[in-house]
Amino acid sequence: MVTDEGQLYTIEGIAAAFMIVVTAYLVISTTSVLTQQDVHIIDLQMQQLGNDALGMMDCPDTYGVGSQSVLEEAISETNPELFNQTFLGLVNSPRNFAGSGSDRLNYSAVIYYRNPSGTIEHVPFGGGTYYRENSVKVSRWVFLPKKSSSLPLLPNLTNSVNRSVLLEVQLWRE
Amino acid sequence: MARMNENGQWIVMLGFIISIILVFLALIVNQSALIGKTTSESVLEFPKSEIQDLRAEIMDYKWRNDLNNPNILPDLQNLSLERKGSVIDYQLPTGGIIFIHYNDGFTEYNEYSWIGD
Repeated sequence: MVTDEGQLYTIEGIAAAFMIVVTAYLVISTTSVLTQQDVHIIDLQMQQLGNDALGMMDCPDTYGVGSQSVLEEAISETNPELFNQTFLGLVNSPRNFAGSGSDRLNYSAVIYYRNPSGTIEHVPFGGGTYYRENSVKVSRWVFLPKKSSSLPLLPNLTNSVNRSVLLEVQLWRE
Repeated sequence: MARMNENGQWIVMLGFIISIILVFLALIVNQSALIGKTTSESVLEFPKSEIQDLRAEIMDYKWRNDLNNPNILPDLQNLSLERKGSVIDYQLPTGGIIFIHYNDGFTEYNEYSWIGD
């Protein structure tokens, strides 16, 4: 025989199930915002990492006016390979990568400078081929002290006086 | 419905309370996610490293006693305007105090700092 005892328990069960489902839906739909936040945080970390690496490479190893930083040496001696190894070694260091192994960041660098007539010229400075990855751009002013001979890498740059050129690095994770 | 069982109403009540609390907790999670997003956005937007880099570059000239080099300002200004879309300016130190201006359309930054004689 069917009795109608315990109807309130049934109603309670239905109400509770409804509320649990709604709450679970709210929780899941709100936490899915995290994916958008992730993109920004990855951009932010990549930009910070790139700026830090360029900052380290802009510091001379020794004290004194004559000492060169890695950036200055790589540019004034036309050595993109030195820049490549140092930069990738810094940004892909296993120490700044959560997990095992090393990171797989790649870059593409361009140097911009001003020629005597005041227009901006640019030369590529090594790196990988960029297709369509999510990338950030970091830049660094590079101080080039005066030299008697002109720089083969940067034609039309009057470097008989101290000059500043702009190094732009596009950074992405492959 | 005379025989309807009225036991267990407290359970229904507690069910309500708990689910309402869960909704509020979900709202808090939602807000914290947005806070992380807006924080990283505003950090990305503020040109901290650009300003630091600009000052460091000027100090490179100062370090070599070459602040009167006529190329500094056009080098920095033209490249910065062309490549970053930002307007920068600096004025030679008067009384050891240098003026640096930076404006990229979102952030305007002016700084007077003492750099020594």
